[in-house]
Amino acid sequence: MSENHAHPNKAQLVYAAVLHWVSTIGIVFVIAGFAAYVFGLLPATYPIEEIAGSWHLGSAELNHLYPQPTGWSWVPDILRGDVLSFSSIVYLSAATIVCLVAVAGVFISEKNDIYTGIAILQILVLLVAASGLIGSGH
Amino acid sequence: MTFMCSKAARGGYFWLFFSFISALSVLLPRVAAAAETVPVEAMEWWVWIVLLFVFSFCLGIVAVIAGVGGGVLYVPIVSSLFPFHLDFVRGAGLMVALAGALSAGAPLLNKGLANLRLALSMALIGSVSSIFGALVGLALPAHIVQLALGGTILFISFVMLTAKKSEFPDVKPDKLSQILHIQGIYYEESLKKDIDWQIHRTPVGLVLFILIGFMAGMFGLGAGWANVPVFNLVLGAPLKVSVATSVFVLSINDTAAAWVYLHKGAVLPLIAVPSVIGMMLGTKIGAKLLTRVKTKSVRVIVITLLTLAGLRAILKGFGI
Repeated sequence: MSENHAHPNKAQLVYAAVLHWVSTIGIVFVIAGFAAYVFGLLPATYPIEEIAGSWHLGSAELNHLYPQPTGWSWVPDILRGDVLSFSSIVYLSAATIVCLVAVAGVFISEKNDIYTGIAILQILVLLVAASGLIGSGH
Repeated sequence: MTFMCSKAARGGYFWLFFSFISALSVLLPRVAAAAETVPVEAMEWWVWIVLLFVFSFCLGIVAVIAGVGGGVLYVPIVSSLFPFHLDFVRGAGLMVALAGALSAGAPLLNKGLANLRLALSMALIGSVSSIFGALVGLALPAHIVQLALGGTILFISFVMLTAKKSEFPDVKPDKLSQILHIQGIYYEESLKKDIDWQIHRTPVGLVLFILIGFMAGMFGLGAGWANVPVFNLVLGAPLKVSVATSVFVLSINDTAAAWVYLHKGAVLPLIAVPSVIGMMLGTKIGAKLLTRVKTKSVRVIVITLLTLAGLRAILKGFGI
C-alpha cells in the first residue's frame, strides 16, 4: 500500500471525476424537471395550488390527502411534472452511490482490502436506505 | 487609493449584509406570525416559491461568508419564516446540504484538500446513525422536534462562538489511523509548501460521528458545524483538510438520511428545488464576495441570527 501522498491518489481522482459529471448532470436535471413541473409543460398528478394549500400539514397528513411519490412506485409516472421533478431529487440522492461504486472498483483493482470493504459496506448502507426497506410508507 | 476603495467596498458589503440580517431579525417573528394566521390561499403559491428562492439565494451568500453550511441556517430560519411544515423544511434542508456538498466535493478532492480515506472511515458509521436520526425525527411529534431543534441550534451557536481552531495540530498517529492509512500531504498556499498530516484519537472521532450523523438526520441539518471541530480539534487534521473533508462527509451522510425523507414523502419538489437552486447560486456568489467582506463580523451576525432562530424554535415547540 505504499503510495505517494503528495498528490491525490488514483481512487480520490476517480471519485472526483465521477462526482463532477454526476453532480453537473444532476443540477441540469433538477432545473429542467422543476421547470417542466411549475410551468405546466407536463401534466401534474395534483394541481400545484392544492399541494401549496396543504404544505403546512405534516408529511403523513399531506400524503394521506395527496399521496406523494414514495418508494419506487413513482417510476411508471415519470412523465408527470411533479414526478419528474421528484425523480431529479432522487437522482441527486443516488449520486454518491454511483461515485462509491466507481471508487470501489479502483480499490479492488489496487487490492486494497480495507477500503474495498469500507466502500462496499458504505454502498450497502446507502442501498438499504434507497430500497425503502427502512422507514418506507407514511 | 486602492486600499481606500477596497476598504470602502468592504464596508459597503458589510453594511449590505448587516441591513439584510437586521431586517430579517426584525421581520422574522412578524412574518412567521403572518404565515401562520393568513391562509395560504391569500397569497399565490408562486409568490412563496419566489420568496423561498430569493431567501435561499441570500442565505447561500451569508452561509459561505460566515463559514457555515447552508443546512444549519436553512432549517431553523425557513421553518420560522415560511408556512411550510417542519417535515418538509427538514427534507428540503437535507437536499440543500446534499446539493451543496455534491457540487463542492469534486474540486476539493482534486486539490487534495478533502481526503477520501478520512471521509470514508468516518462517513460509514455516521451514515448509519443519520438513517436512525431521520427515522426518529419523522416519528416524533412536531413540537418535540421543534424543541429539540431549538436546543440544538442554541448549542451550535455556542459551539460557533467558543470553538477554537488549530491550523496545523501537533499529532502522534494512533494505531487505528495507521491501520486505515489515514494520512496525507496538501499544498499550503499561504506557506508555499507541502504540509504533511496525520490523525490521532480515531476511535473517539468514530464515536462522535455517530452523534453527529444522528443529529444531522434528525433535524435535516448539514453537520459541518460539528464535523470541522471533530476533524480539527479531536482528530488533529489541519484546518483546511478538516473543512474540505467535512463537505465531502456531508455528501455521504446526508444521502443516507435523504432516502428516509424521500421514502416518507417528506420531500416536496415545490419546496426543495427552489431552495436547492437558490442556495447553490448564492453559494457561488458568496464565494466570490468572500475576500471582500469582513467575515468575522458576518459570522457574529449569523451566530446572533441562529440564536434568535433557536429561541423561536423553542417558543414554537411550547406553542407560543
